[in-house]
Amino acid sequence: MLEVTLKQELPGFTLDVSFEVPTGLTVLFGRSGAGKTSIVNAVAGLSRPQAGRIVADGRVLLDTDAGTCLPPHRRRIGYIFQEGRLFPHMTVRRNLAYGARFAPRDAPREDMGRVVEMLAIGDLLDRRPGALSGGEKQRVAIGRALLAAPRLILADEPLAALDEERKGEILPYFERLRDEVQVPILYVSHAASEVGRLATSVVALADGKVLRQGSAAEVLGDPAVLPAGAREAGAILAARVVRHHADGLTELEAGGVPLFLPRIGRASGAPVRLRIAAHDVILSRDLPRGLSALNILPGTVAALRPGAGPGVMVAVDTPAGRVLARITERSARALDLAEGAALHAIVKTVSVAPGDVGGSGAAA
Amino acid sequence: MIDGVTPAEWEAVRLSLRVATTATLVSLPLGVVVAYALARWRFPGRELLNIAVHLPLIMPPVVTGYLLLLAFGTQGPIGGLLDRAFGVTFAFRWTGAALASGVMAFPFLVRAVRLSIEAVDPKLEQAAATLGAARPWVFLTVTLPLIVPGVIAGTVLAFAKGMGEFGATITFVSNIPGQTQTIPLAIDLALETPGGAARAARLAVFSIILAALALALSEWVSRRVAARVGGRDA
Amino acid sequence: MTPAALSGAAAIALSLAAPAAAEEITVFAASSLTNAMTEIEAGFEAATGHAVTVAFAGSSALARQIRQGAPADVFISANPDWMDAVAADGLLAPGTRVDLLSNALVLIAAKADAAPVEFGPDMDLSALLGNGRLAMALVEAVPAGTYGKAALTSLDQWEAVAPKVAQAKNVRAALALVALGEAPYGIVYATDARAEGAVSVVGHFPADSHPPITYPAAALARSESSLTGDFLAYLRGPAARALFEAEGFTALASADD
Repeated sequence: MLEVTLKQELPGFTLDVSFEVPTGLTVLFGRSGAGKTSIVNAVAGLSRPQAGRIVADGRVLLDTDAGTCLPPHRRRIGYIFQEGRLFPHMTVRRNLAYGARFAPRDAPREDMGRVVEMLAIGDLLDRRPGALSGGEKQRVAIGRALLAAPRLILADEPLAALDEERKGEILPYFERLRDEVQVPILYVSHAASEVGRLATSVVALADGKVLRQGSAAEVLGDPAVLPAGAREAGAILAARVVRHHADGLTELEAGGVPLFLPRIGRASGAPVRLRIAAHDVILSRDLPRGLSALNILPGTVAALRPGAGPGVMVAVDTPAGRVLARITERSARALDLAEGAALHAIVKTVSVAPGDVGGSGAAA
Repeated sequence: MIDGVTPAEWEAVRLSLRVATTATLVSLPLGVVVAYALARWRFPGRELLNIAVHLPLIMPPVVTGYLLLLAFGTQGPIGGLLDRAFGVTFAFRWTGAALASGVMAFPFLVRAVRLSIEAVDPKLEQAAATLGAARPWVFLTVTLPLIVPGVIAGTVLAFAKGMGEFGATITFVSNIPGQTQTIPLAIDLALETPGGAARAARLAVFSIILAALALALSEWVSRRVAARVGGRDA
Repeated sequence: MTPAALSGAAAIALSLAAPAAAEEITVFAASSLTNAMTEIEAGFEAATGHAVTVAFAGSSALARQIRQGAPADVFISANPDWMDAVAADGLLAPGTRVDLLSNALVLIAAKADAAPVEFGPDMDLSALLGNGRLAMALVEAVPAGTYGKAALTSLDQWEAVAPKVAQAKNVRAALALVALGEAPYGIVYATDARAEGAVSVVGHFPADSHPPITYPAAALARSESSLTGDFLAYLRGPAARALFEAEGFTALASADD
């Protein structure tokens, strides 16, 4: 458990945050320049904020009032950098083993073999970083941070330097990290899809302030909290694979509601989480007929939030979970939408990208 | 030509090697520390240190030699202290020639090492810190291996400069065969002595051969190390 | 009016009439002449209004530079050998060579209260030196060094003393080593010892223990300065002689020679 309180004057705005990071993967979610990297660097000890208090597992890492500031090498926080930062003069094996030497004897350690297998880097052990691809480097970076027996893992936009295909490759490894390792992870991102796939809890940041913190489903389902803008908004649903159909669709079930997605590679009965982008959701007062969309969720309006432009964000509570829909003000008025109104949320099967479907990890 | 080499000339060659090697080996650790301090630390007096290190580069060598004489001679504050406390003398001895060579070569060493330290991405050092390495460990395991090519270059440069040092040496410890008469001093003496031209030429050839060997060696080592350090599978 | 004063007055008149025509002359002089020549230089400039540049070094170094083409107009050497070497290359202006000065060789000590040294059959300079060094100019090249070695050889001291000699680049550097106290004893000219207050003379080498110390002066053939004749005459003149003798030199040539 990590508790962070920071105050720092940055060019353009003041960073003033206070939040907690429970076990699991917490995404520090916000636009570029919202102060996320400053926060993470302060937690790691790479920079010293003007005022703040950081406590990890009861150990005080920083307390500006008391004058305590542990140097980075004493904090036992594993950091996965955006650019990997592997040591070019060491083999992958030595890179991985680097931190293990400095970890205290009684610290719970990961087994090197297990980590190598988890990250599928067994073939790379005797290679040097100069000979690795971007994705391979990031996997080694994850392993290296993990093997240093940290009490917390920081990841600063670790996928930002990769192209889409590589991102898709690496995301599952972060999912495994989240699901198989007990160490809490603080993950910085401005990409809603990463948040959707990985987050068990979210701290939404805008202009240096915390908009909301809580479980991923809560925060992403809040129409007032759009840290990355309305275009990136989307709620998360937890579902279970029911069966795969012969025509290339997978049927899932969430809260009793059937959902159809393009074929996903998971076994029957496996839990999944999906992110439904708000701008992919159509609302209808009546149950629609003859519509091509296969996913129709009944629900009631939980909240309405007008945006700066012609749009309005509608939060709909369905048996499958909270869904956000972005529609025009005009339509909202035409449909006479108000809190409590009953309606249907409609999502096209094909609009849910494979990248938005992930292994479970509790979202709620 | 080899037959014409006199014992005195061989002596000058041996002495030059001894003086230059000692000077380089002793100034290496200090040079690396000073280079690191100038490259990575901020402290009051940093600019002064930088200037002090570069003084032998810009002062006339004779002036440097004279200052060494004043400070490290048997009558000087540092020289006298070292003599009384440890029995270490520099005046009129090869140790003084080594000191003169070391001082004159120091700026070259520091510059080369500093440049290579500045080329090391500080982000790598940061990464090492987050993995639990305290500053000395970071230096030993990350910075040092990455600066080895630069250190080699600086060492060879310092060695070559030490082999060629003249003005400060003759002013500080004068010309004493077997103790301070290095190749440059022997050449100078040969040039001033009637009929010494042949001797001067032989010694000059030695000088050139030794310098070329040192350079070739450093190139070879540098290339091998650079490949390993650059992250390519060596 | 004496010829010297006449030429001096004429020079002044000429220089006043045509200030842009001030001539220059470059003199290479042995380093033992430093103090005297500096004053003579000032005197000549004041008397004639012409600029004099004097370069001091060991005579061996000066001779080498002249033979390699250095633009000197006048050369004053501390021994005849180096002047002969320059003459052998045909570089001297004919008829201008003259023996200017003589000097004496002394043994100096760093301590002001050092005991005088007897130059007799019981002399043991090596024992006197102990672990210390004897500062001398380069014994194979610089005149003060060669005279010193000759003197020590004729006194049977050279064999024992040779390993303890610290050879400096020129006699002034040897003097400085003794003045600093780095070397307990040194061999320099009597004129050098007089110029340096921090050393004391503890013995005079007998004049017959070394070849006579003669300082020849000559103009160089390739010189383009018209002042060489005047300068050489000035060196033999009363003003210069007085300055040389005040330093302890013996003037050999006079203006009337």
